[in-house]
Amino acid sequence: MVQETTTAIPEFFKTIEEGGLSMWVRDNPFWAILSVHALGMALLVGASGVLALRLLGIPRDLPIAPLKRLYTPIWIGFWIQVVSGLLLLIGYPTKSLTNLDFYLKLVLIVAGMVVMVMLKKRVFGEAGISEADMMSRGKTMAILSLVFWLGVITSGRMLAYTYTYISYPF
Amino acid sequence: MNLPHIHLLLNHWPIIGAFIALGLFVIALATRNGDVRQVSLILFAVIALMAIPVYLSGNAAADALKKTPELSKSAVEAHEGAALLAFSFLELTGIFSLFGLWQFSRHAKEQSHTAAWSSMAVLLCAIATAGLMAVTGNTGGDIRHPEIVVKDAAPSAIAAMGAKTILGLRYFVIDYSRWVWPLVETLHFIGLIMLVGTVGILSLRILGFMKQLPVGPLHRLIPIGIAGLIINVITGFLFFIGMPFFYVFNWYFQLKILAIGVAGAILVLFYCTGLFRKSMNVGPGEDAPGFAKLVALSSIVLWVVIVVIGRYIPLGESAQ
Repeated sequence: MVQETTTAIPEFFKTIEEGGLSMWVRDNPFWAILSVHALGMALLVGASGVLALRLLGIPRDLPIAPLKRLYTPIWIGFWIQVVSGLLLLIGYPTKSLTNLDFYLKLVLIVAGMVVMVMLKKRVFGEAGISEADMMSRGKTMAILSLVFWLGVITSGRMLAYTYTYISYPF
Repeated sequence: MNLPHIHLLLNHWPIIGAFIALGLFVIALATRNGDVRQVSLILFAVIALMAIPVYLSGNAAADALKKTPELSKSAVEAHEGAALLAFSFLELTGIFSLFGLWQFSRHAKEQSHTAAWSSMAVLLCAIATAGLMAVTGNTGGDIRHPEIVVKDAAPSAIAAMGAKTILGLRYFVIDYSRWVWPLVETLHFIGLIMLVGTVGILSLRILGFMKQLPVGPLHRLIPIGIAGLIINVITGFLFFIGMPFFYVFNWYFQLKILAIGVAGAILVLFYCTGLFRKSMNVGPGEDAPGFAKLVALSSIVLWVVIVVIGRYIPLGESAQ
């Protein structure tokens, strides 16, 4: 669909920005949502990181099999991030959606979650395999997940410094 | 009570404490007395924690002195420079002390060889700290007591070096490139995940979640958390040195430092009492002691609060 716009910013973003939910986000709980987003990050990336590091051998005497339980905080953290992230996006759609870095972050999140799901299948999918086997099976994906999560954090942090358009400055 | 008051109230403790702790530590090494060694290490850790509000509130004290033009500005700068160096070495001493305490509680009574290098590190850092503390105290006294300043005496080279370091760091963080600040922010977040992730998982297990995991091996994650803490103390101080007056009067920042102090004090208590050793023996499926659960709960609550207050810092403009 071709839309005629007089400015560089599509009208669609402005429609969202002038909506009630967007105004509510900007008005009051913005910093609270940012805080929740930081805590969700700690939960999701913290739990993923611990699992990945263990599969790479740090710390060696921690049993691997019960670490399957870490997928609970991983998924809780993920959904906290989806909800809080969407609210932040609704508050400032122009700022994020006109920034290439934002799409990079989304791609990296998808990559990170896909790797975590694949890792669960490969490492925890078969009962009764040895820890050495679990480690060799999970090694590549453990490294990939660490790389992707570091990328998500970096690109996410950079959102505050790389935007070009913002309709409602802080 | 205001911030300059807090600075004057607390500032003698790290100086005198550094000398007392160093003396005790040397005695402990000479007499091979484990108990005295432990006491001196705790003392180092406590004054390292205490020095944080002293250093931070110093900027408020300097700001307050701007209203008294008869006092020497260069004396303030010299004191600030010496203070940064003394503070840095004291924090280093504190970190090695915590490490020593951790080794001490792990190896219990047996004489461990691994403890030798951490003792050496504590000793060397503590000697440097004591020397730098003397310069800091001396230059600090010169600010308010011009009558004791020896005329034509050469200004302290160490203090001048510290003052130059502050200016260099400020230039690096603020003016060198627009990407330094975002990069330091990113590192601060990575440190946050390392610290909160590992401490959080251990605390959740002690509270009774993910019970199949044995506590002892899970505690092996804590060095990762400590590494995160070190990253965040360094990056946090880079922010502070970059914009001291934005932070020092910032209400959220003050609250965050207070919460970190409480969390640090609880950490020191946990490792110095027998609680730590008791918790480490909790195997798969077993319940942790009640007090350990209390510590775990308080650490989760405090770190959540610290992250949240940290996120609010951009909002808290000058309160004064």
